[in-house]
Amino acid sequence: MTVTTLAKPDYDVLNVLALKKMAGAPAIAAVVDLSAEDVSARLDALAAGGFAVVAGGAALPTDSAEPALAATASEIYAPVRTDADLLGLVEQFEKTNAQLLTTMSAWQQVDVGGRKVANDHTDAEYDEKIISRLERLVGRLDGLIDALARHDPRFATYATRFGAALEGIDGGDHDLVSSPTGDSIHTVWFEFHEDLLRTLGRERAE
Amino acid sequence: MSAPGWTRAFTDDGAVDVEVLGGKGAGLVRMTRDGLRVPPGCVITTAACHVYLSARALPDGLLDEVRGRLSDVEAATGKTFGAGPEPLLLSVRSGAPVSMPGMMDTVLNLGLSRDAAIALAVRAGDTRFMADLVARFHAMYSEIVLGALDDRDTVDALVNGVNRDDDPAAVYDRVWAAAEAALDEELSESVPADPDDQLRHAVEAVFRSWNTRRARTYREHHGIPHDMGTAVVVQSMVFGNLDDASGSGVVFTRNPVTGEPGLYGEYLAHSQGEDVVAGIRTPDPVARALPAPLLAELEGSCAELEARHGDVLDVEFTVEHGVLYFLQVRSAKRTPEAAVRIAADLLADGTATPARALSLVTGDQLRAAQRPGFDDEALSAARAAGRVLLTGIGACPGQVCGELVLDPDRAKERAEAGAAVILARAVTSPADLHGMIAAEGIVTSTGGSTSHAAVVARALGTACVVGAGALEIDAAARVVRVGERVLSEGDPVSLDGASGELVAGTLPTTTPAAANEAMDALLAAAADAAGCEVLARVTVPPDVVAARAAGATGVVTAVDDVLAASGDLNHLVETLLEKGWDGVGAGTALDEVRRAIARQVSGLLAAAGDHDVDVRAIDLLADEARELLQQTAVTTRHPELALPLGVPALIAAQREGLALAASEAGYGGRMRLAVRHVSDPAEVRALQSLDGDGPGMGTYLTSPRAVLGAEALVELSEVVWLEVRALQAAMFGIPARQFLTAAPLDDYVARGLLGIDPRHAIDPTVEPLLAVLSEAGRAHPEVPVGVRLSGTVSDRVASRLYELGFRRFAVDLPEVRPLILGLGRAALAG
Repeated sequence: MTVTTLAKPDYDVLNVLALKKMAGAPAIAAVVDLSAEDVSARLDALAAGGFAVVAGGAALPTDSAEPALAATASEIYAPVRTDADLLGLVEQFEKTNAQLLTTMSAWQQVDVGGRKVANDHTDAEYDEKIISRLERLVGRLDGLIDALARHDPRFATYATRFGAALEGIDGGDHDLVSSPTGDSIHTVWFEFHEDLLRTLGRERAE
Repeated sequence: MSAPGWTRAFTDDGAVDVEVLGGKGAGLVRMTRDGLRVPPGCVITTAACHVYLSARALPDGLLDEVRGRLSDVEAATGKTFGAGPEPLLLSVRSGAPVSMPGMMDTVLNLGLSRDAAIALAVRAGDTRFMADLVARFHAMYSEIVLGALDDRDTVDALVNGVNRDDDPAAVYDRVWAAAEAALDEELSESVPADPDDQLRHAVEAVFRSWNTRRARTYREHHGIPHDMGTAVVVQSMVFGNLDDASGSGVVFTRNPVTGEPGLYGEYLAHSQGEDVVAGIRTPDPVARALPAPLLAELEGSCAELEARHGDVLDVEFTVEHGVLYFLQVRSAKRTPEAAVRIAADLLADGTATPARALSLVTGDQLRAAQRPGFDDEALSAARAAGRVLLTGIGACPGQVCGELVLDPDRAKERAEAGAAVILARAVTSPADLHGMIAAEGIVTSTGGSTSHAAVVARALGTACVVGAGALEIDAAARVVRVGERVLSEGDPVSLDGASGELVAGTLPTTTPAAANEAMDALLAAAADAAGCEVLARVTVPPDVVAARAAGATGVVTAVDDVLAASGDLNHLVETLLEKGWDGVGAGTALDEVRRAIARQVSGLLAAAGDHDVDVRAIDLLADEARELLQQTAVTTRHPELALPLGVPALIAAQREGLALAASEAGYGGRMRLAVRHVSDPAEVRALQSLDGDGPGMGTYLTSPRAVLGAEALVELSEVVWLEVRALQAAMFGIPARQFLTAAPLDDYVARGLLGIDPRHAIDPTVEPLLAVLSEAGRAHPEVPVGVRLSGTVSDRVASRLYELGFRRFAVDLPEVRPLILGLGRAALAG
């Protein structure tokens, strides 16, 4: 069976839609750096192609979205997949990813006499240490994001999103650390990780 | 020595001013004054920082003064900074008056010149220890003072290859050179070898860190003045790994897991604190491992500290050459169960005042401690019967049951249909989020306790087990296999997010032993202090029993809720639509209403004993009623039902039904019937002049008009409730039902489109209205005036309502205990 591949900006739109599962044109536009009108038109086209369903201002990917994305990624990101420097950075990312997840867990739970207890965020010093660590870990992605953006500028939006989340956190909105529903550090990281795996044609291990 | 004023020794007299000494410095001075043996040191005050920030240079004389302080420390410890035979090493830490992000953290082991390093290796009889210390110091200084980020695998490998009895000088040279090379490669920088230079640069780095981007942003957002400045803490290091008469440990003054009294902690002889934390060596319980005189000293100090702070503390200590030093004393983190027990115990033994004891438990801790869990016996029976399918890694606690579902779309669909769902996935990706949100529990076959799935589950507060490797998910066949066993999608399972167990079938849950003596004692103190009436919303008789057990002084219920729960509501509404509401005799629609109410409410009243029961009349307009009714066209076909007194006979029938229920149940308390949406004195007069006998009539306020005119309404009513959610919704002009769910307001508030989140805080526009009602209540003390709160009640809302003068509350059943606690705290805070 042959799988249709997608043209470039359509890939970006469907990619974000697949990451977010359900999203409106404005939310996608904010991430892919296109106008909401443009995204909306592309969603309609993707729907016509059978890759998405649009209803009530929000879109959902169909079952044919993933294969089309995978096929497209293996074509357009072939140079990424052979970029030795970049692959070196990806290997580093795996380490940083593990550290990020440990740090996220420390944000959510503290160790009490060997038992994990929900962090009640009453210890500002503890929390601020974790936020500082998160900022540094996010900083370690700079090289990889730059390297990816040299192949495809859309990856630079991750740096922007991380920056916005960190700024919000410093402004006191601590939900932007790990909230799964907002554009938190964890959400952006998780999406970046997923996007990276698709770009490289790899499977998620956990 | 005569102090010109840039520094203060921990032992110096003088006011403990956080503005001058910073938080950490003030803490160490206090510990010293509390009689604890703290490793000696001094604080460089914020005054020096002020000079540095304006002049871009350290104040004249500061370094000489610090040198003088170090001489004192050298004299007190018999150690020498930067030299043998006993080298003095220092920690340098930032300490602002307010804790803030972006500030420089700690540099440890400062003072490791070549001479000092060699002397230390000789003194400890361990070159490996010295190599490790040198590498750590170099890495920490590079990171904190110079901004390096890289891991140093080559240096680590070098240190790992060093033996205890290697030549110290050669090892020092090798490690230092390797560390310098790594730093040079990364930043083209160098760490000074001279201890005085190290100290000066570290102090300047602390001062400079006051103006990092993060620190500035934080101060701007929190209104902290930019000229406050930071202090620097310079303290001598002590080592637990110098000999067998040395060691390090951590103790809690009580068990932080259970709350049980008695020192709880660990000590490891011949070790540094990091070894204990990193789990490199297994420490021993303090009571067994610490020599008797030291244990006695530790116990004595801990008891005094606990009495002084009125709280359980977490104490970090080191023994150096047989001398006990206290490094840090903090309020201990603890489990919710321990928090409750500790507060009750400290209250009982007089260590804590009621105000202090209540402040030691948060509403969230109480909610967690009373959360329903699996019935112990049922769980044991399930284990014995081999119903445990697998044990994975518990990632987020919670004991939940539901039907097994294998994909997120279906999880969402089933949850929307009202089913409890346990979502099983091999891995989770961001695209699974909607299913994870819908699920009661999540189990994945891959991942560790820090996987993305675990992080998301914890952020959602959803019970989660990860790394269940035995779980084989066959998405095509819609089954999961665990060894020989096969479960189909839709089969009931139970999940324990703490123990990691996945159990076949449904396990019964109970509100646990948490409703124990400790919790009751604490809540009794809170209730005494607050002197408030707290009524619980109930629907069926077991709710009433639970409400009384939780300490509720009465219950509230709604006729439509009760009839919906009993299955009568739809039938009654259809009968009303069919037969109309004329006539009151046998066989009429209203007679059926009357008799159904008598039948269903009598059980509640029997369980209520002599407690207050406030009943809300049927409200066919309410969101809840619309969901309860399959018949949606009621108010379209009979618009008069949309008004509070549109059909007076329907209210009269409810009242008579309640009177019948009371007599059937032999109810001896006070019962009242309140009608929603009333806003005019004329409406209340009409209620009071209804025909027939029955409970006293009252009002349930939902609109700004009603509250602004509350004085007249209260005067005429026999009970008055204000529904805070409805009032907030009316003020915002947003349908009240949107206040009960996460979407769409979560996103809306996150976008910054509303100044406050109206679900969690009282809007400033609503406060004056609340004050009007509170005033009206005070003017008529004979009329009970209360506020009805929906969903979770934050401590802040509870305390604000208390301040506004409210003393009567109605909340959902699980919120009774947290509210009593919050009110008690508010009462004692004043």
